[in-house]
This record gives sequence, C-alpha cells and structure tokens, in this order.
Amino acid sequence: MAAQGARSETILVVGGGIAGITTAVEAAEAGAEVVLVERGPSLGGRVAQLSRYFPKLCHPTCGLEINYQRIRGNRRLRVITMATVAAVTGDRGAYTARIETRPRHVTARCTGCGDCARASQTRVPNPYNYDLDTVPAAHLAHPMAYPMRYVIADSVIGTPEADRIEAACRYGAVDLGEEPGAFDMVVGAVVWATGWRPYDAAKLQPYGYERHANVITNVEMERLAATTGPTLGQILRPSDAKPAKRVAMIQCAGSRDHNHLPYCSRICCLASLKHAAYLREAYADAEVDIYYIDIRAHDKLESFHARIKADPRVRFIKSKPASISENEAGDPVLHGEDTLTRDLYETAYDMVVLAIGMAPTAGDAMPEAALETDEYGFIVAAETLGGGMFSAGVAAGPLDVSLSVQSATAAALKAIQAVRGG
Amino acid sequence: MAGAETATYDLGFAKWVAGNISGADKLSMCMQCGMCSGSCPIGTQMDHGPRKLIMMIRAGMRDAVLSANTLWNCTQCYNCTVRCPRGIPVTEILQGLATVAVAEGHAGGEPTARFSEAFWWSLAKFGRTDERLVTSRFYFSAGLAEGVRKSRENLAIALRMIKARRMHLGAPHKIKRRKNLQAILAKAREIEARGAGEGD
Ligand SMILES: Cc1cc2nc3c(=O)[nH]c(=O)nc-3n(C[C@H](O)[C@H](O)[C@H](O)COP(=O)(O)OP(=O)(O)OC[C@H]3O[C@@H](n4cnc5c(N)ncnc54)[C@H](O)[C@@H]3O)c2cc1C
Ligand code: SF4
Ligand code: SF4
Repeated sequence: MAAQGARSETILVVGGGIAGITTAVEAAEAGAEVVLVERGPSLGGRVAQLSRYFPKLCHPTCGLEINYQRIRGNRRLRVITMATVAAVTGDRGAYTARIETRPRHVTARCTGCGDCARASQTRVPNPYNYDLDTVPAAHLAHPMAYPMRYVIADSVIGTPEADRIEAACRYGAVDLGEEPGAFDMVVGAVVWATGWRPYDAAKLQPYGYERHANVITNVEMERLAATTGPTLGQILRPSDAKPAKRVAMIQCAGSRDHNHLPYCSRICCLASLKHAAYLREAYADAEVDIYYIDIRAHDKLESFHARIKADPRVRFIKSKPASISENEAGDPVLHGEDTLTRDLYETAYDMVVLAIGMAPTAGDAMPEAALETDEYGFIVAAETLGGGMFSAGVAAGPLDVSLSVQSATAAALKAIQAVRGG
Repeated sequence: MAGAETATYDLGFAKWVAGNISGADKLSMCMQCGMCSGSCPIGTQMDHGPRKLIMMIRAGMRDAVLSANTLWNCTQCYNCTVRCPRGIPVTEILQGLATVAVAEGHAGGEPTARFSEAFWWSLAKFGRTDERLVTSRFYFSAGLAEGVRKSRENLAIALRMIKARRMHLGAPHKIKRRKNLQAILAKAREIEARGAGEGD
C-alpha cells in the first residue's frame, strides 16, 4: 500500500493501443515519467490487427515500428504487459492504481527464437485473428509484438507438454511457476486509453452472423486481407475457401441504431471503402456492393470515397438491408428495399461483410475508478478524483487512427499539466 | 403557390400527422433507411411500403397516404417497429392513419376496412364477435349482388363449420351486461370528441 500522503509525478497510461502508445511516448519525450500498462501480451492494440490503413493504404507495421523505436530509446517510459489496471483511488498527484498481472510464463531472457512453439503440440484459439485460426500453446502474440517475447497459454501449464516446452528453450526463459499477481502503484495522473471492442455481430439477429458461414465482420475482413492472417492474405470465403469475388458490405451494422449502438462509429464507412479496395486489388473481376444509409467520409477522407466511387465495379445501394438468408450453394442472400428505386431486392453474394461499429471497452469492463462516461460509455475527462484523469483514442469516442493520435497528444499535455500542478 | 399544386400537396400534413396520430411525434426521426419496408412480410402487397409512406407524409400527399392500401394490408406483425433503428412505432402510426382514413371516407373500397367495420359492429353491439353475422355483414358491404354471390360461394364451408360446431345458428352470442359496455363506449366517444378539439 502506498504511504499516506505519498505524491508522484508519474503518469499512468492504461492501454497500449495506438492512443496509449502515443500518449506515453509524447509525455516521456516531454520529460515526464510514464508507466504504460497493457492487459494483452503485446502493445499495438487493434491497429496491429488491421491489414492496412486508410486513406493511404499503408501497412500498420511502419507506424507501430516508429513508435516502438521511440519507446526503446526512452528511459523515462516503462512498459508493463499482461497487466490490467483494475482500480484507481485517491486524488490528483497521489493516485493509487491497483494493477493485476497474468502470467506469461516467459521471462525477459526470451530471444524470440521460437523453439518453444515448435515444441508445443496443443493449439489454442488465436485472438489476433479473431479466433479464425489457432496457434501453438507457446506463441508470439503477433509478428509485430512488443515486447518481442513469447507467451505460453495457461491451458497447458501443469501438463507434460509444458515440461517439453521448458526443456526446448535454450535460454532458460520459460518460467512455469509464474502466478497471477497484483500490486499497487502511486501515480500523479492517469490517461485511460482502453480502446474498443467490435460490436457483437450475433446481436444483429436478422443478419444471421451465427447461422451463415459466409457472413463475416469487418474486423475479420481485415484479417482475411492481411498476409499475417489465417488465409495469408487471400480473400477466401469461410464455407468452402472459394475466392470471394461478389461481396456485399452492410453499413451501420449495429451503429446508428437505438437497438444497438445509438451513435455513428465514424470509421466503418471508410473501412468498407478500404475493403472494396482490397477486393478490387485482389481480383480483377471482383464486384462490390456497398449498402448504405448515407456515406460518412469525414473531412479529408472524402477524396478516398471519391476514388473508390469512380470504380464502376463498386456499386453503392442506398438501403439498410432487412435480413440475410442462405441459398443451396451456401451463398448469403440479402433482402431489403432499395430506397431510391423502391424495389424490393433479393440478391445473392459469395460473401457479406457486416460493417460493425466500435463499442467502448470501458462500457463493459469498467475499472473501479469513479470514471465519468457519456451516455454511450466513452470516458470523459471529469472533475472526479481531483480531475487528474483523462482519456485518449477510442476510449474517449469513436475515432480513426489520426484523430486518436491527436487526442493522445492532447491527453499527454493535460496529464503533464496535472502532475506539474499547472 | 399555384392552386393546382396546393390542391394535391397539403404542406401542413406532416405537422398535422405528428400532432394528431399516436406515436407520430417520432416521425421526424425517420432517416429513410428502408429497414421497415424490407422487413415487411407483405411488402409486395402494398401500394407503398412504410418507408415510402413516411416520405409521402413529409411531401404532403395527404390523399394518396390516406387512400393507400398500406394502411389496410399491414398485418400488425410489428417487424418494422422492432427493427426500426430510430425507434419509430411504425405499426402504431399506420393504425392511427387507418382510423383517420375511415373517418374521412378514404377507406370505403378496402376489403380489410370493410371487414374491420363488420367486426367492430358485432363487438360493439353484442360484446362478442359472431362469425355468421360478421361474415355476412362483410360480404354484403360490397353490395347486394356481391353479398349474395359470396354467401352462395361459401355456403358449403359454412355448413361444414356448423357441423363442426365452429359456427352456430340462432341468437348471436352476447355478453351479460351489455348496457355497461354501451355506457363504456359512449364515454369513450365523449372523451375522444373532447380530445380532438385539443389536438389542434
Ligand atoms: C474494421 C475496422 C477497420 C479500421 N481501419 C482503420 C484504418 O484503416 N485507418 C484508421 O485510421 N482507423 C481504422 N480503424 C479505427 C482504429 O482501429 C482505431 O482508431 C484504433 O484502434 C484506436 O486505437 P486505441 O488505442 O484508441 O484503441 P485500441 O486499439 O482498442 O487499444 C486499446 C488497448 O487498451 C488495452 N486495454 C483495455 N482495457 C485495459 C485495462 N483496463 N488495462 C490495461 N489495458 C487495457 C487493450 O488490450 C488494447 O490493447 C478501423 C476500425 C475498424 C473497426
Ligand atoms: S426503419 Fe425506421 S428509420 Fe428506417 S425508413 Fe423505416 S421508419 Fe424510417
Ligand atoms: S407491422 Fe405492418 S407494416 Fe410493419 S412489417 Fe408488419 S405488416 Fe409490415
């Protein structure tokens, strides 16, 4: 426990996605002491799961790599992974953060050689690919992992396989005895960069995400298009691994809907335009139909919209589809009303992509920290607990990467002012 | 505005609907997404789906809206209402418009409207629906010749129903204290008449 009255100028950043990384790096480079806590085995967050970024369609690798360099080069910044910030109490300048850790079973001696993975037989679901495939029990979170350190799934601990994995490591980096733990840390300010999770597509009952193999979500589409994904970058539909050439995108799948997420998630239109670009690059004869209420390509992203729209093989249909059924060929069939022609359609596709929205992580797994949220569950900077807590990235609202980075820089500045008494 | 245009378009109609039809205060929330029309199981049997009807209300097409068969072919399945992303009680609004259509004499030719009238007549008079009286009243509401033709056509069915004790001859089913029902309905009419004045 922290001693009564202990003060700290350290900034705690919760969440190691692009927003948390940016906040931490910016604050540390400005001279602040920073601790960055990430609950997963690696930094990177959801951005590491994107195939490419709109609007320039560059790979997330480069953006992350630059940030990793900045982290490595900064002695004021400490990164703790496999740790969740469970609670924050106290006041500005003297918060006590409760941090709970999960065992990685691999120490800092790991060189990333991968011998442990070759020694494991059990395969476990791969959250990096949204469970579309599996990985060995000893694995790297993803090719862009930071730290570049393997992790051993809890499910094999205590089995002979774990002993084999331990024996396979030439560097003595495997620690099978590591236990879950918890510790307290005194910090002066907290930036919540806890990000988002994809909205649960199963709740969109008429679209049959759970019933139809070839109805997938936009986050799964990112993985299908990625060379590090389950299909090694080939866009194949799940039921029979046939190339998905006639594809429909359903916009606002769960967003702008009072039964689901009442707000606009802001990035799904752009993500679907990007997915149209993936498909048109992958297959010369690909055809993409985008079903929309209205396309929201905000500010500078309008030119990306215009570029995709100029492609005659990408059609835009003004309609919120009502339901999806399946024909004998396993093709998903869309039903609805084209609101411009008033025709009721029934159209079959190879695959349908639901452009699901971003739900705030804090909305369902709220840390105990007297946090104030808006009506949708996004964290707002508030006067509670002395006013030294801020939010950045999608934890603060549905933002794309560049807006997340902007909000992260702003949060870093506010946090510095808070610990310096500005 | 030229007279011909104001004759077909009642520019105050949307506002009137919003103020006078139960649930229609939410109509301005409609974003014309098409979820309702696409979800309607009998959308192909409607002159206009719910989404288009809402557009027509906004456009002020009073007569076309009130004479649309949409109001009568709606089965009140509530698919549109539960799926509408903006929480608009579409079914309730269609029902309210149907009531106005009857009051203003737009619904005369619609079989569903005539059936509803026969159904209500039996209910209000006896406190119960009497299959035989409702059916014959409905048949004859289309005219004497049509009534006779329809009754003949369905005679065999009627006889089988009587045999299966699904329809009966003799005095209609009635509830016990019909006077009380009459009093309740009179009171309801009185309240309704009072309310209509306040709506404007
Ligand atoms: C299909 C799709 C495609 C997209 N494509 C693009 C694109 O091309 N270009 C673009 O600009 N944007 C795109 N986006 C948006 C982009 O993904 C987000 O802007 C970005 O992920 C926001 O990063 P973040 O750091 O705020 O959140 P996240 O990436 O979610 O990171 C949050 C991190 O916090 C951690 N965390 C959460 N709670 C705790 C806790 N209590 N303790 C410790 N750690 C915690 C999580 O594990 C996670 O690593 C896309 C979004 C979708 C849905
Ligand atoms: S579903 Fe709702 S918002 Fe969409 S067109 Fe119908 S009434 Fe309007
Ligand atoms: S309630 Fe009426 S209008 Fe709505 S979907 Fe059902 S039948 Fe169609």
